[in-house]
Amino acid sequence: MAHNSAPTTASPTIGASIVAKGLTKVYGRGSDAFHALGPIDLDIKPGEFVSLIGPSGCGKSTTMLMVSGLEPITDGVVEVDGKPLTRPISEIGIVFQDHLLLDFRTAISNVMLQQEIRRLPRAEMKERAQALFAQLGLQGAEEKYPWQLSGGMRQRVSIARALVHDPSMLIMDEPFGALDAISRTQIRHDLEMLWLEKRKTVLFITHSIEEAVGLSDRVLVMSKSPGRIVEEIAIDLPRPRPAHLGEYPEFSVYAKRIYTIFEKLGIYKF
Amino acid sequence: MTATSNLRKAAEPALWLIGLLVVWELVVRLTGTPKYILPAPSIFLWTMIENAPQLAYQGALTTRLILYGFFAGAVPGVALGYLIARFRICQQLLYPIVVFIQGLPKITLAPLMLVWFGFADFPKILLTALITFFPVMVDSVAGFRSIDPRKYYLAKCTGASWLQTFFKIELPSAAPNIFSGLRISIVVAVTVVIVVEWLNSKNGLGYLVLRAMDSKDTPMIFATLVVGSLIGVALSWAVSAVERWAVPQRGPQGRH
Repeated sequence: MAHNSAPTTASPTIGASIVAKGLTKVYGRGSDAFHALGPIDLDIKPGEFVSLIGPSGCGKSTTMLMVSGLEPITDGVVEVDGKPLTRPISEIGIVFQDHLLLDFRTAISNVMLQQEIRRLPRAEMKERAQALFAQLGLQGAEEKYPWQLSGGMRQRVSIARALVHDPSMLIMDEPFGALDAISRTQIRHDLEMLWLEKRKTVLFITHSIEEAVGLSDRVLVMSKSPGRIVEEIAIDLPRPRPAHLGEYPEFSVYAKRIYTIFEKLGIYKF
Repeated sequence: MTATSNLRKAAEPALWLIGLLVVWELVVRLTGTPKYILPAPSIFLWTMIENAPQLAYQGALTTRLILYGFFAGAVPGVALGYLIARFRICQQLLYPIVVFIQGLPKITLAPLMLVWFGFADFPKILLTALITFFPVMVDSVAGFRSIDPRKYYLAKCTGASWLQTFFKIELPSAAPNIFSGLRISIVVAVTVVIVVEWLNSKNGLGYLVLRAMDSKDTPMIFATLVVGSLIGVALSWAVSAVERWAVPQRGPQGRH
């Protein structure tokens, strides 16, 4: 395992920039090789909220794992704040599709795992964790174990865990995929409010058009495997965005554009 | 769980046990069974009281061996379980040996241990360790293997060191399995130590049982066995207590 560098401080950071050039992933070798992704280019500015949307199996999660340094890159480079990525970076927060909370720790203690591993000041981090719990509507859930929480609350705890150490970027892999539609709308709004306050760079992976348009500054639409970015759509809607996105006539225009691309790619056949 | 229902849970089996002893007592007295065949509970309980200092002293010596053997087996059991679960090469090299030794009736190694290591405590502890090792190791392998591989992403993206990953994620994740191995091992350890004390010893409960047998002192055999059983119950209770303290409940229905 890569050696841990100097402990990350919890001082407020602005979002990092993420640049990827020719990012490619091939699993296996020779005749068994499977071309999963790319080449794709990404250029995410500090503090920007960018969504990656595409069908299942298009390499979205692979992209996320490579950008965070968790999966080796077959070809291409990833630069975070101009520095090439060579090992898992710890200056990020990741929210996985599955909450990945430790079932033997309470909600607050799952969040404080960050403090323990990074050896950050305990009292200060506890305060930050509690503030995040309040912002995410988790008051009263601090001492509950994951099995005592609903799916939506578990995912909120996992968002708190990803943010408590004040990372410069947040990578989210279909974080609301397993939630019901009602919780999804609420958690989308809560995430947006949190982002408006903190302005981290966010790379948000999803297969929901509504989430992508509802949250992002920019949506990158991916093709089927091997995934490539086929279109980039800047979302110019005022924030914070409402629960019912249909209030904006532009919303249906953006959504329509993505549906049209999916139909063209043969992802939707109507 | 309320205090009264806890009390009830403890009282019910105790009453049942007392009832059994009363029936035993009556049967022995009514049939006039001689005490060297089956002593009445009142007889061997009295023997226990008469010999309390000796039973306590020898019991303490046996308990000491049990604990040494248990720890000497459990710690390597967890460590090897971890290595086998996590590293392919360890699995390939060690597992065949482990399977072979596991198939061996290990208590039969006792004479060999005595030939090799003489008559001190060491061979007894070693044999106890060897036998308690296996349940712990097998359950540890299962525990460490059952960790969701994505938990390692979590370790990496927080920048956790190898030690942090082990103590903060892997060990607590595998703890329920490890404890089920420990609960088996502690009971086995009691038996092993007493049996090994038969073979050669001037001390311990095994020695007391053997000496009582030589003098046809059946009440003393019973008294010693009761002490052995109390030690076993106390130690398994201690393991369960440590488990309750160290491993939080993970689901709505009971443990795990």
